[in-house]
Amino acid sequence: MKRNIVLAKTREPLTILLMIIVALPFVFPFWWMLTSSLKTSGEVFGALSLWPKTFQWANFAEVFTYQPFGLQYLNSVYIAVVVTVVTVVLASLSGYAFAKVRFPGRSALFLILLSSMMMPAEVTIIPNFFMMKQFNLTNTHLPIILLGIFGAQGAFSTFVMRQYFLSVPHELEEAAQIDGLNRLNVFLRIMMPLAIPALSSASILTVLNSWNTFLEPLVFIDDLKKFTLPLSLNNFRDAYGSPVWQLQMAATSLSVLPILIFYVFAQKKITNAMAFSGLKG
Amino acid sequence: MKKSMMVFMALIVSGAMFLQNVAAQTATGPVELRFTVWTGNAAHLSMLSDIAAKYKAVHPNVSVKFDTIPYGDYPQKLAVQLAGSNAPDAGWITEADAPTFIQADALLDITKAVAAYNYADFAKSATGLWEKGGKVYGVPFSNSPLIIFYNKTLFEKAGIATPTELAAKGQWTWEAFASAAKQIKAKTGTYGYQTLDGSGYTDNLWATIVPMIRAYGGDVWDAQGNCTIASPESVKAVTLLHSMIYTDKSVVPPGEQADFFAGAAGMTMSQISRVSKLQDAAFKWGLVALPKGPAGEAQVIGQAAVVAFKAGKHTAEAADFVAFMTNKENVATMTKFFPPARVSVLDSEAFTKGNPSIPPEVMSSVVGYALKNGKILPSNPNFPKIDLIARSSFDQLWRPDADVKSVLSKVASSIAPLLK
Amino acid sequence: MTKTPSANRKKNHEINRRKRGEYLFGYSCIAPQILGFLVFVLGPLVMVIVYGFENRNLLTGKTTFAGLSNFTTLFTKDPLFYKTLGNTLVFTLGLVPLSVLSSLLLALAVRKDSMRNTVFRTIYFAPVVTAAVAWAIVWKFLLQGDQGIVNKVLAVVGIHGPNWLQEPGWAMGAVIVTRVIKNLGMNIIIYLAAVTNLPDELYEAARIDGASKLQAFRKLTVPLLMPTTLMITMITVIGSLKIFDHIMLMTEGGPSNATMVLVYYIYYQGFRFFETGYASALSLVLFVIVLGLTLAQWGIGKRFSYQEG
Repeated sequence: MKRNIVLAKTREPLTILLMIIVALPFVFPFWWMLTSSLKTSGEVFGALSLWPKTFQWANFAEVFTYQPFGLQYLNSVYIAVVVTVVTVVLASLSGYAFAKVRFPGRSALFLILLSSMMMPAEVTIIPNFFMMKQFNLTNTHLPIILLGIFGAQGAFSTFVMRQYFLSVPHELEEAAQIDGLNRLNVFLRIMMPLAIPALSSASILTVLNSWNTFLEPLVFIDDLKKFTLPLSLNNFRDAYGSPVWQLQMAATSLSVLPILIFYVFAQKKITNAMAFSGLKG
Repeated sequence: MKKSMMVFMALIVSGAMFLQNVAAQTATGPVELRFTVWTGNAAHLSMLSDIAAKYKAVHPNVSVKFDTIPYGDYPQKLAVQLAGSNAPDAGWITEADAPTFIQADALLDITKAVAAYNYADFAKSATGLWEKGGKVYGVPFSNSPLIIFYNKTLFEKAGIATPTELAAKGQWTWEAFASAAKQIKAKTGTYGYQTLDGSGYTDNLWATIVPMIRAYGGDVWDAQGNCTIASPESVKAVTLLHSMIYTDKSVVPPGEQADFFAGAAGMTMSQISRVSKLQDAAFKWGLVALPKGPAGEAQVIGQAAVVAFKAGKHTAEAADFVAFMTNKENVATMTKFFPPARVSVLDSEAFTKGNPSIPPEVMSSVVGYALKNGKILPSNPNFPKIDLIARSSFDQLWRPDADVKSVLSKVASSIAPLLK
Repeated sequence: MTKTPSANRKKNHEINRRKRGEYLFGYSCIAPQILGFLVFVLGPLVMVIVYGFENRNLLTGKTTFAGLSNFTTLFTKDPLFYKTLGNTLVFTLGLVPLSVLSSLLLALAVRKDSMRNTVFRTIYFAPVVTAAVAWAIVWKFLLQGDQGIVNKVLAVVGIHGPNWLQEPGWAMGAVIVTRVIKNLGMNIIIYLAAVTNLPDELYEAARIDGASKLQAFRKLTVPLLMPTTLMITMITVIGSLKIFDHIMLMTEGGPSNATMVLVYYIYYQGFRFFETGYASALSLVLFVIVLGLTLAQWGIGKRFSYQEG
């Protein structure tokens, strides 16, 4: 017993040291990103330095003149919002139906939907490209939004919602129905408020997925003003394709910091949402 | 309550933005030509916009919008855009892609449009690649030799003769080039040489090796489609490059990020258009033609042309604008970045004095000289495939212990079937 | 207890009516999702099959019937296809266990609420919210040869690091590890959620029974977290199959195709070689693989937690 306590005590600093070492590859890229964003281009390529010699705050201003970065930022934000809101609404509806409503073909339909959950967008990108062309939709945001909603992430959100609704006891619904609520009202008034954690989890995952989408914008968007953040970040290059590091890093910092700050404050809530959703299995 | 309000507001805003986008798509009115370029350089773009403005003065209903596609993705992205519903009307393409796009029937026949001016003013050697079956599919606006930029300050620091001094003595050879790079590395710790745009192992593979191979008397493939990249001459040239990278360690190696224009290399291969990147350089610099090799002089020219696309919505206007852009006056304007293919402009002061940051005698002795003696970079209708397949075989070369001869043989066997 | 036949019929009728209402409600709920699925997934999937039997070229826009030729080329004449298949397998098998195991360990390490753990959780989560593009670009810079910061750090402890992304033997490993770091935070959060729900009494009982910490981990933690582990494995497998931006921006499939995975090869054939027909044949192969995985996952999942409620 005593030995155990001693062991635990000597282990503690060791664990912390280990965690710090593990944390290095997580932290260092950000350190490098932030410091490089304030360096001159000569300094970025020069000897390894952990701190900028002089702070080039002008880099951050140049980010917005080099490309319509503000607009591109906004594009990513609004696409993420639209995709997430629509996805979560559709996923709650179908997740509920798949979990709680009995109708013929339910399992088969669910399994088919599930198969698209694992399917990378690359599989269908070519026919989707030709289809969008037919409807004159290339170089608009619509393909990114539609494929975002109905692609793998949409199916996954449905899966998350269904798992959650499965865990809600039948009695609750039956009681509500006896009280005279119809199906739709049961869903809207009883089930949805209960499903907030699952909804948040699905939303978080969908937002992150949309935020990171690269292939669809790459294939569908031509116009700088319609670029999304991932395309934009990759486009801080000079006329001949060499990256303009200090601007690229300044832009990247701008794209990361707001969400990171949000996470620091919402951390507890996010973890709780995950804990009470079906996600943990 | 507050939360739901915010969600609601977000929905409204995004809906409005979406509608606005759709509206922009379907807007009709005067003709707007979409013109794709690979430069994002402000000086280049403002020069192009000036040309477009001059055109608008004559044709008030036509405006031109220049869209930048990054150089590395240019042919791929262009092909996707041409296949999409928002095809560009006109744009630039490089010599490497000319046969591919002509063979794919993607370019507009502009023979009639260029008949508006004296088309014969363009050097025959420059237009060959852009004609097929007596028809004109593009007009070269840039006939730009590959030259060497060097960092004079670094050469002085290393205390060695500059390339210009060597060239004056007739000693500017690839051997001398390699030794200069080596000494710079040894004496200043800075890399001696950076490949074209730093992408000589990927996007600019051919521009990096072809000048050396030709100077040693070889070539990568011939007009009949025979692959000669594994010839003894080619092996010799590539061996020199390999030993520079891995024995002398004087070249910025693959994967390493360094920038000549930020002072991080003694020399780089480049073109006149990149002089604009030297505007704020913190060092003195000079330009010199490519070195000679055992087989003598081998200047190499990179070409780019203005073309109109068949898939564009306004083909007539596009063809007319291409002709306008390449008339004598506009070629003279573009000369400060893009050496002309028009003989009359090449011989004029517009060329030698076109770029204020380059002395006229350098312009004529370096660029003019290289142009007169130069041969265009290789091309082939199968170029996109050849390029990517060769690059993946070439990857085996970029390691210290690579056997140059066997790697080049592998490259030859992998691309030979595509050349015919 | 006695009912007239007509009352029975009436009741049956009522039940049928209710049932129909229920069906209708169910179908209306899933209709939008299923409709989208038909238009944007299933329809295109059918087209992939059609395209797979055609010679299509993106640049020329010409299409001819190809019969089986795309598939014979793919299976008999394209060594790169087998290489990409192998690479995809190596990538997934390398990434998934590494990601799942390290996220479990880290989740356990930071499970207690404290200032210190909040800091660590934030650190581990930070890459998740970073655009994958940015992550790849930064690591490409850090993983350069002799100049690279990673190698400079290794040199301090006397290790001469390789030119990570330029040597075929190292590139895949580098790509996997940087990708694991990118998404680990999400897995940690999901594990954290499950870990906080672990019943303390059980551990207390185990401790009283004299079980060591390692035993408790193996006999209690691992089995109790099994449903979570399965879920995380699934999410990670999905993520690993659609690895695209990371590969494109770090290695472009190189060096010497060492990191060319199936999804990137599809893009490469379709959008760089313009061979959309051949790319569709490749897509079809990928789809069959995905279908197999889905069925397997469904089978495994059924045994644990996804059964009908």
